[in-house]
Amino acid sequence: MDAIPAIRVVDLRKNFGALEVLRGVSFDVHRGSVVSMIGASGSGKSTLLRCINRLETPSAGEVFIDGEPMGGPVTANGERKERPLSDINRMRRDLGMVFQQFNLWPHMTVIGNVIEAPLRVRRMKRKAAIALAEECLARVHLSEKGTEYPARLSGGQMQRVAIARALAMQPKAMLFDEPTSSLDPELTDEVLTVMRELAADGTTMIVVTHEMAFARDASDRVLFLHNGQIEEEGPPDQVFGAPKSERCRQFLSKKLQ
Amino acid sequence: MSNWERLVWNQRGLLWQGLAVTIEVCAIAFAMAIVGGLLLCLVRMHVRPLRPVAIALIEFFRATPIFVQLMWVNYVWPELFGWPNTFFTAGWVALGLQSSGYLAETFRAGIEAVPRGHREAGYSVGMSPFQVYRRIVLPEMLLTVAPSIVNQFTVIVKSSTLVSVITVPDLMLQAMKLVNIWYEPIEVLTATAAIYIGFVFLVSTAGKALADYQRRRFGLNAA
Repeated sequence: MDAIPAIRVVDLRKNFGALEVLRGVSFDVHRGSVVSMIGASGSGKSTLLRCINRLETPSAGEVFIDGEPMGGPVTANGERKERPLSDINRMRRDLGMVFQQFNLWPHMTVIGNVIEAPLRVRRMKRKAAIALAEECLARVHLSEKGTEYPARLSGGQMQRVAIARALAMQPKAMLFDEPTSSLDPELTDEVLTVMRELAADGTTMIVVTHEMAFARDASDRVLFLHNGQIEEEGPPDQVFGAPKSERCRQFLSKKLQ
Repeated sequence: MSNWERLVWNQRGLLWQGLAVTIEVCAIAFAMAIVGGLLLCLVRMHVRPLRPVAIALIEFFRATPIFVQLMWVNYVWPELFGWPNTFFTAGWVALGLQSSGYLAETFRAGIEAVPRGHREAGYSVGMSPFQVYRRIVLPEMLLTVAPSIVNQFTVIVKSSTLVSVITVPDLMLQAMKLVNIWYEPIEVLTATAAIYIGFVFLVSTAGKALADYQRRRFGLNAA
């Protein structure tokens, strides 16, 4: 394992008013590893993911991407210099995000969705962007759907396009926010298959999920969140086989019934 | 020779001329309303210091009767600003102002209807707020509200009959000219009403077809 983790989260905290959603979360994600986050609704999993790519601004703590602090470098006298938004935009490119609600842009074709960021953000030439998009669509097994509009796709197909759209930025890590939670059960498999393939290819991934089977056999490490803190963490065998925390055991026994 | 032939068919050239002027006034007013409405909406939503001004204008345009607005633009503006200098211009300006007030609110509803997640998806791939606005929010909003915009055009067409009062030679004015020649209003005004109905029906059918198309192709429901 390399010295600098792809993502390092240090004592991350987030309040919404008086409500403490994250109460000091720290963990590392090493390059090429898959970390699954499980936990009950409201345990802070999604907020944690959104704080990592700064769709939410953390109240305290820091996220490092390849050693670079998202919140801005700390100056000699210990004060944090807040990053300009353009900097955050630049760093976000390195984190692909996949949302529960897919969030494809309905007015663009599938190819249009995938090439948008390479064209506008990476400033790639159109031809190169299309070639890249076709490669990404092939990885999610949707090569033949490039000219369709999202409205014509099934939920599973939409989510796979969303994955391709994130991959097209060639991110250092992929963040999945309950990617199968709004899909019919028969459609979750096609999405999970793609995610397993990405994991097998060595993609660095953080996956917030309710799919215990995926967390168990596709991830390198599992974090169980409870009340905004990491209650249990370890390799899947340990977390699923012999959880130390009583809450984690209860959660899993309900989930695995 | 029937009255229809004598009063309507033989005068059809005049009526078509009037219809052409009606279409012209409405088209210019419509273009102005779209541009003006978009400007008012963007200022209202995003230019904090000018927000009260935009709100005041939108409410003024929406709350003033179109006839009063027409008189106001036609008689007050030339005194104050030396413009408009033709009745035709005053006509489309008044129509355009009122519709721009309505469209500003339509655009705002459309922008607010763009799901937050669509914007977040843009940010998450590194797009700047401006890029997200220009490439995602505005196009999606325009698609959503397109059918409502078309409907606003039918409102303009109907309101446009009032410009005949300031002697713009539109369909209504030509019809009244014919009525005043022979004092036989039945056929001429019935035919005029039919032409307006036909025109408005065409436009609103196009609006409905557009809404259906949007739903099928983009899965968008008209706002």
